[in-house]
Amino acid sequence: MSVIDWFVLIITLLAVIAYGVYKSKSEKTLDDYFKSSNSMSWFLILLSIMGTQASAITFLSAPGQAYIDGMRFVQYYFGLPLAMVVLCVTFIPIYHKLKVYTAYEFLEQRFDLKTRALASILFLIQRALSTGISIYAPSIILSSLLGWNIYYTNLVMGGFLIIYTVSGGTKAVTYTQMQQLLIVFVGMFLAGYMVVHMLPPNVSFSDALHVAGKMGKLNVIETKIDVTDSHWWKDKYNIWSGLIGGFFLALSYFGTDQSQVGRYLTAKNTKESRIGLLMNGLVKVPMQFLILMIGSLVFVFYMFYQSPVFFNQKEVEKVLATDYKASFVSLQTKNDSLNSVKQVQTHQLVDAIHQKNELQIRNTQASLKEIDKQTKTIRADAVAIMKKADKTADTNDTNYIFLYFVVQNLPRGLIGLLIAMIFLAAWGSIAAALNSLASTTVIDLYKRMWVKEQTETHYFKASRWFTFGWGLFCIATAMFASKLGSLIEAVNVLGSLFYGTILGVFLVAFYMKKVGGKAVFYAAITTEIFVIAIYISDIISFLWLNVIGCLLVMGFAFLLQRILVKSITK
Amino acid sequence: MQEEESSINKKWRNAYTLVIGTLILLIIFFYFFTKQFA
Repeated sequence: MSVIDWFVLIITLLAVIAYGVYKSKSEKTLDDYFKSSNSMSWFLILLSIMGTQASAITFLSAPGQAYIDGMRFVQYYFGLPLAMVVLCVTFIPIYHKLKVYTAYEFLEQRFDLKTRALASILFLIQRALSTGISIYAPSIILSSLLGWNIYYTNLVMGGFLIIYTVSGGTKAVTYTQMQQLLIVFVGMFLAGYMVVHMLPPNVSFSDALHVAGKMGKLNVIETKIDVTDSHWWKDKYNIWSGLIGGFFLALSYFGTDQSQVGRYLTAKNTKESRIGLLMNGLVKVPMQFLILMIGSLVFVFYMFYQSPVFFNQKEVEKVLATDYKASFVSLQTKNDSLNSVKQVQTHQLVDAIHQKNELQIRNTQASLKEIDKQTKTIRADAVAIMKKADKTADTNDTNYIFLYFVVQNLPRGLIGLLIAMIFLAAWGSIAAALNSLASTTVIDLYKRMWVKEQTETHYFKASRWFTFGWGLFCIATAMFASKLGSLIEAVNVLGSLFYGTILGVFLVAFYMKKVGGKAVFYAAITTEIFVIAIYISDIISFLWLNVIGCLLVMGFAFLLQRILVKSITK
Repeated sequence: MQEEESSINKKWRNAYTLVIGTLILLIIFFYFFTKQFA
């Protein structure tokens, strides 16, 4: 990175930290610290919700995902707008009416303390682990770019955001998220513009879309349905898993995950919360569509220019330092010559598109798909060599594709801004997570069960300490995250193991008035065992786990309640 | 009072319809987008 990039990066990050600390001046009570004294408008709620959900993982992995697998990942978000509507109708009025700090407080009022504690603990486990991964994601960038040790990088990465999260609580988190998202949007817009701008002069944006489409990278919708096919159930991203599984996941994430509930509980009133969530329902899918389109455009860019056989250069350097150097270099040479053929053919495809010559378009498309297949084989061979050379090698480079493009091709200054953008996106979601981990620990466990009769100042100070403590825990988790595959899936899978169960408990609370605390508590525990067993047996895509978990809790709770009533009657 | 409440409820119903309608339009757009460039 150049001096200008360093300057842009450091100034941007310092400005956000300073702003966060400045905004935290007036915090003195628990209400300030966790609910910002109910002062937020819908616009801030919207940005905060988006900033919490869109982590660095979103901006690192999504374009890479589109590069590898096309744009069908967007279907994952189709259930989100529907979930926003259900939240506005059911969840928000109840949370605001009860004036709760956390979603789990409601469970005690509806059921009992042990159900509240169970939901809180499940949340703490999954949120703490996934936040660790969210710290690790931007750390890969630093370690890969600057050759820093990944463990020290995790420490630095987590440390900076702890400063303003500990001192400022929810208010600092929300206001910094606003700054962060604005910078993120500017960065992504510039990156998208630059990809198109750097294509050969005779290739327009429309041509690029046609080329991407012909290579199967604009496959936004997959409507195939075949419930008898086991592969269909394992297919992660199609319209059905997106609408149904995505709906349950979004309902659980936005309705019962304190990192999100804590955002819209800061709103002035029910109306502001609702508008914030509905606006999120309107903008999320198009936003994700545009981010993925950048990935597809990067794919097109590399059809005109040389692409590496593997995007994680650190791993490439490692294999080149072993006895496998010769075989790896041979694959690189093959890849380069295939790239040269691909470039010529892609120009021919663009010419055919200009001339609207359907026959030539089909022929060139078939030929390019064959080259793409060969390229994939070479990549697979390269990965196999890397594995032979080092069994612990990170052989998934999805998260490196966009970053590699940025560092290799964008002008000075913009690289710094985009690196800052990735940091800020990470900080936005990590800060909200730390804040929610602290609020759940203090409100649902510490104040409710461990240290009951203390002053407001005591709980306020304890909240700061818990935020700090969770920050350290998440950094420690990040240290062990280096062996996971595609990060975006790791985070989502982790959530899906618990989300269905927690959502089931809440839906029983809202809609099954006759079911009591005992029935729902044991139903939740039994379900969690089932969900983990289904996940381990690997028979279904993780998105469906949300549906299964939720329905199982409701079913078990209903049955258990009937059994309990019968045994009491007898 | 009741009239006011029903007008507010109607506004929210319209907002929910807008969100769901936009999703349906987006899915239709994506469907043709996929077909157009395939």
